[in-house]
Amino acid sequence: MATKMNQTNNQGPQFEVLTESQIEQIYASALDVLESVGARFHHEEALELFNNSEAVVTDKNLVRVPASLVERALRSYPRSIYLQGRNGKNQVRLVPNEVAYGTGSDLPFFIDRETGDRRSTSYKDVNDAARILDYLPNYEFHMSHGIVCDAPNPQTYDRHQYLAMLENSTKPMVLTSVDGEGLEDLWRIATTLVGGEDEFRLKPQFVAYIEPISPLNNDRTAVEKLLFAAEKGIPAMYTPCPSSGATAPATMAGMLVQSLAETLMAVALCHLKKPGMPLIMGGVTTVMDMHTTTYSYGAPELSLACAANTDISKWLGLRMFSTGGCSDSKTLDEQTAVEQMTSLFYAHLSGANLVHDVGYIGSGTIASLDSLVLNDELIGMVRKFCEGLNTDEDHLALDTIREVGPAGEYLTHEHTFEHWREWFMPKLQDRSDWDTWNTNNQKTMIDYLKEETDRILNEHEPEPIEPDQYKEIKKIVHEADERHS
Amino acid sequence: MEEKLGSISQTLIEGKADELQKQVQEALDGGATPEDVMNQALVAGMDAVGQQWKAGDMFIPEVIRSAKAMSGAMDIIRPKLSESGGAGSGTFVIGTVLRDLHDIGKDLVAMMMEGAGFKVVNLGIDLDAEVFVDAVKEHKPDILGMSALLTTTMPQMGEVINALKEAGIRDQVKVMVGGAPVSEEYAEEIGADSYAPNAATAVDKAKELLQA
Ligand code: B1M
Repeated sequence: MATKMNQTNNQGPQFEVLTESQIEQIYASALDVLESVGARFHHEEALELFNNSEAVVTDKNLVRVPASLVERALRSYPRSIYLQGRNGKNQVRLVPNEVAYGTGSDLPFFIDRETGDRRSTSYKDVNDAARILDYLPNYEFHMSHGIVCDAPNPQTYDRHQYLAMLENSTKPMVLTSVDGEGLEDLWRIATTLVGGEDEFRLKPQFVAYIEPISPLNNDRTAVEKLLFAAEKGIPAMYTPCPSSGATAPATMAGMLVQSLAETLMAVALCHLKKPGMPLIMGGVTTVMDMHTTTYSYGAPELSLACAANTDISKWLGLRMFSTGGCSDSKTLDEQTAVEQMTSLFYAHLSGANLVHDVGYIGSGTIASLDSLVLNDELIGMVRKFCEGLNTDEDHLALDTIREVGPAGEYLTHEHTFEHWREWFMPKLQDRSDWDTWNTNNQKTMIDYLKEETDRILNEHEPEPIEPDQYKEIKKIVHEADERHS
Repeated sequence: MEEKLGSISQTLIEGKADELQKQVQEALDGGATPEDVMNQALVAGMDAVGQQWKAGDMFIPEVIRSAKAMSGAMDIIRPKLSESGGAGSGTFVIGTVLRDLHDIGKDLVAMMMEGAGFKVVNLGIDLDAEVFVDAVKEHKPDILGMSALLTTTMPQMGEVINALKEAGIRDQVKVMVGGAPVSEEYAEEIGADSYAPNAATAVDKAKELLQA
């Protein structure tokens, strides 16, 4: 039989925002910023580390870094990172073009499912969100969907969030923390679960979420966390949150240059502290809405800049923490669906590794359990499309077409039976006819959504934590509360 | 003269700062009273800017350009107003509370207040209660504004209000609060005089406070 030569197949659609020469332009400009503008660091040890290197510190805390240091540093970071859940399962592999989804963090408000109103987020809400996340198959990692406002002390809310998530989920996590001490406690909890510091380095269960202050400013707590993560080999992302036109240039390219400079500063600093930590690139790069002043989570510019940023991350050999599935709408409505779906699509096409903020509504201020369930369905659709299609003999189906012939039918053919399950199966969408829909009380997606959320909350029982481990963890949280009481 | 004042309003709406200062000076030199320039030209101009912004005909960058121009014009008008015994728009002190580093929303409120003719003192971020108390003593503002973007730092706004009470100066100043997690109810709970969900409303509420 003849064989095929020089055949190229697409495993999924191909998508790029930037060409390599555009990436090189942006990178060179970012290096220029590092050398000529620099960034502020409000942290003694960081300044000392820079001072003892070929970087230049002037005006007390303004750091300028030569390209040579950045380039040397860049070579020392791992190109693949493996995360796992507390039971050793649910691995997430951060390798190029492998996309995982997760919630975003710390939303101060929650949509109450009884009243439909907005209220402040509680421990129980974070618990519920974690349980739902644990169940939903299209989410691979999670963050504390809301901020635990009823923690005994605002300075220890991070430990309570981790606890609430651990109680209900076996998926890997991305964690925010109050400061270096908070991160240390989170890390102690994880090392307890995984069996020690060295084991954690081999099988990290969480990524530390850390942010600079755009433009080009690094506060004490953020740097404290970065340095601790570098020392212990904790995976971490240093994720700029610039708003174009307010804290970054109004052009997407300018915003990308600035945020890349912010990222490369962390690349240099962590390398000086201790080479080799799993550092992840990030960015919630969006625009400030010029009518309302809102930091927009639904703007197409967010998707565009995030996808371009992902192109840059791949070129640099860093893994990418991106953004999608979020909306500016205050409730679940048409706007929510349109915005969430759009950003999911582009994030997926870009091949980002960890897509976060999925389910956000209210421009990053409101959490909704139903929104989480909605996005599971949306991600399913996106994943189906992005799989692309197979063109092997069996899928070209020439034999089947021959067998069925003109004016035949495929319903009863074995080939149909074998393949139709490759399709996307909607769970929350109504494809029925008018009459069936009428007799079924004219239910819409929102109705199906609410039923599904109820069902998961009622039925899903997460795998419990070992009682001994649970005791240890509670102790760490309790001690933190005591220290801060 | 009416024509001149109208043209000042127009320059303000267009946000031409240098031109505006020149025109204001000319009007004063030409015998217009500072009150007329203030009310019939500048305030009228900024009111129009505010209306166009709300209607979606003007956007933040344009509004801020006008606000900056207004601030420059006020530098000329303010001393003249106090000479003639008339009142300017008052003083507004603003800052972000302790352990909170979010600044862009606070800065926007500050700029819009300048646009409304306020003399604005922007204290910065991550500020101790003491800094607010000292600033009230030093600048004697009509309104003290506090911004908090985190549920964890919101309680600081209450601490500042308590510190003002302890210093015996709570009744000398109106307190306005804002920031994403803050609400009307929360503002009431901590004993603030006013709350605004965004910069545009903040200006309206500040004007109300001055009249109260
Ligand atoms: C005096 O009277 C008044 C009247 C009106 C007033 C007023 C005062 N002050 C404000 N207003 C009002 O008028 C302004 C103009 O219209 C408006 O101001 P805003 O500031 O709301 O509006 C701005 C123009 C645009 N909005 C913004 O710029 C804020 C956007 C979001 C995404 C945001 C950003 C950008 C940032 N953040 Co932060 N951040 C979020 C924000 C989510 C959100 N949608 O609010 C929020 C507020 N952050 C949050 C968190 C968790 C954090 N952030 C942090 C850091 C940052 C950045 C530095 C990265 C950056 C700020 C950069 C800067 N220069 O300000 C960290 C804390 C740092 C610290 N100690 O302060 C950190 C704790 C994350 C971490 N663990 O590291 C969440 C709050 C959680 C909580 N506890 O309540 C959050 C809701 C996002 C989220 N879901 O995670 C109104 O609120």
